[in-house]
Amino acid sequence: MIVKQPDTDQTSVDRGAPSIHSNVSRITAKDRRRLRHSKWREQGIAYLFLAPNILGFLFFTLFSLIVAFGLSLFRWSLLTPPEFTGLGNYIVLLTKDPVFHQVLLNTLYFVFGYVPLNMLLSLGIAIWLSGPIRAKNLFRIIMFLPVMTPAVGVALVWMLMYNYTPSGLINQTLAAVFHIQGPNWLGSDTWAMPAVILMSLWYGFGYNMLVFSAGLQAIPQHFYEAAAIDGAKRWQQFWSITLPLLTPSLFFGLVLTIITSFQVFDQVYILTLGGPGVDTTTLVFYTYQNGFTFFHMGYAATISTVLFLLIMVVTLAQFVLQKRWVHYEV
Amino acid sequence: MLSRHRFQTILASIFVLACMLLTSCGASSQQTSSSSSGTQPVTLTWFMWSGSNQEVQAWQYDASLVTKQYPWIHIKFETTTFPDYWTKLETEAASGTLPDIVSLQSLRTPGFASNFRPLEPYINSNHFDVSAFNTTIIKGLTYQGSLRALPYDFGPLVIFYNKAMFNKYHVPYPSANWTYAEFLQDAQKMSHGNDYGFVASSLPDVWLPFALSSGAHYLTSNGQIDLTNPQLSDAFQNYAKLVYQYHVSPPITAPQVTATPSIWEAGNIGMVVDGPWDLINDKSTAKFDFGIAPIPTLSQGSISVVAGSGFGISTTTQYPDDAWKAISVLTGDTAEQYLATQGRAFSARTAEQQYWYKNAVPGADTALNQALTGAVPYVTTSNWNEVTTLIDQEGLKVLDGQESAAAALQSVNTRVSGA
Repeated sequence: MIVKQPDTDQTSVDRGAPSIHSNVSRITAKDRRRLRHSKWREQGIAYLFLAPNILGFLFFTLFSLIVAFGLSLFRWSLLTPPEFTGLGNYIVLLTKDPVFHQVLLNTLYFVFGYVPLNMLLSLGIAIWLSGPIRAKNLFRIIMFLPVMTPAVGVALVWMLMYNYTPSGLINQTLAAVFHIQGPNWLGSDTWAMPAVILMSLWYGFGYNMLVFSAGLQAIPQHFYEAAAIDGAKRWQQFWSITLPLLTPSLFFGLVLTIITSFQVFDQVYILTLGGPGVDTTTLVFYTYQNGFTFFHMGYAATISTVLFLLIMVVTLAQFVLQKRWVHYEV
Repeated sequence: MLSRHRFQTILASIFVLACMLLTSCGASSQQTSSSSSGTQPVTLTWFMWSGSNQEVQAWQYDASLVTKQYPWIHIKFETTTFPDYWTKLETEAASGTLPDIVSLQSLRTPGFASNFRPLEPYINSNHFDVSAFNTTIIKGLTYQGSLRALPYDFGPLVIFYNKAMFNKYHVPYPSANWTYAEFLQDAQKMSHGNDYGFVASSLPDVWLPFALSSGAHYLTSNGQIDLTNPQLSDAFQNYAKLVYQYHVSPPITAPQVTATPSIWEAGNIGMVVDGPWDLINDKSTAKFDFGIAPIPTLSQGSISVVAGSGFGISTTTQYPDDAWKAISVLTGDTAEQYLATQGRAFSARTAEQQYWYKNAVPGADTALNQALTGAVPYVTTSNWNEVTTLIDQEGLKVLDGQESAAAALQSVNTRVSGA
């Protein structure tokens, strides 16, 4: 966002006649040059600050995207020279690959399972912590700690907890307290994806909780006071004041969470390696497997390009829909 | 007061500077190419997989033997886990950063041997005696007619059994000719509560011996993958019954597929399929006495697969002569004796195998000799990384009874035969 100087409205300057306010000086040509210089100076300083980010984006993101798209038009197994296949990889992926539709469904399973639960959990905790709780900041820090931990470390610990042979913490607790024989969490086709979702929830809810907490704090208190005077109950206040005014933060959280949940990889790689069978193979894991286990680099680039387009479409749809439910102005 | 033009110039020069910095960061430093004269100190990087600290120490001791014999050669040892080794090797090959000395497993020879220099020139010019090595593993490490790595070990896949568990359930130890029926019976006697008689895995290395012993095959006569033949599906289905029907093996997860020996080392499992290379880890981790038995006999006998590994010279090294000297020491008799004594390698050098036997468990020599008589070389395809990964994944569902062996093997076959 470039800071623009307000343009001097030259049409309102009467060069000949004295102006209405006698203490306003006339805009001379020298003044106009000075204003132009300072405008460029401000823009220039803004560009300088943005330069590291823009350079990083250009080199590491945009460049890689273009290369990946280019790579998807080839067959390349790393050691042999690449051969051009045009859109052949895409045709194979969408029509002949026996596994791609399952991978897509798995990813959607994860997204539709993880995102609503994440939003509900983080919103609920953010609202709870916005009330009269002592040491609420301490609680916020504790709940944010998982987000700061490396995903691989968290996944390793959860893998031990989910262990079946020998029994991990979760199955031992289920047996000791509830006398239930826990399933083989990471090896069962029914429980593998829920296990991954549960671990991701624990890991990721703190981020949105912080975003929503900030959003909650930004709601002016006088709304609640006015509503209370008018006789609105707590639930009505929440529904009519808190939620609508929180929609910008909700939108931000939703967009980011959906994007990152489409890209789920770390947990799958550590917990289940995409198994059993392909039950937890998500799009990014499938990309990794094709690229670095099977060495079908062109095909892997194809999958990642398809994922990129999918996420772009979903995000654009969200931005279009935001007009309906996000209230930016008070 | 900066003019617009002047300002754009400054921005452009920052951009160019940044480009230069980034490209210089990425450029690999070119080594001065000089074949060694014997006086210039040389550091060779050696890349080898490992799974424990004991293994790393064994390799580092090996590397020190090279410096002892050739004082100007220093070895820099790099390692990673076995599954990641192949990923890293391929990416290093593609980016031109291969180490000087690279390790090769016979299973991966068809797929990765193009990164290794043919060794015939060095063998011939140094009058190196290749016959001191076991012929099966020499064949296993040969690609397109030329040997690509000097072997340091080989071995058949055999059964490691927990003597404490056998004693606990009053089961007699396996004999050298024991049958599959006896194996199943023993496993069932030991499977109560948290104890299991066996730990099964979908890794093809550990269940193919059972399949081959039942008369199945996994390759066609000209070396193409063929997983759809009914004998193979039947054999795999029977193996899977150990988990989902007889419950003599616990269900495992995908990350555990290549790590069943670690599960066995915990002490509540009776038997596991493993190879003599793991003796070093088992002796240090397992807190119980254990023995070794051949694969139980099925309809066609006891047919195990023999695999092994070795060290070779990468195609991109700047010091091939020094690398040759290094690998000849790493697989020389002193190193082999050490590795055999430590239990890391059932020596590829026939003369040094006795050291493995001496420091192995009692009865190991009978078991291994029995296993070796019936064993066949473990022949693989060039896309074996993909084949084994898919069999691992889909096979897990077969072990859990969620999918039939025929369906799973069919789907793997479709995916790997260029679909």
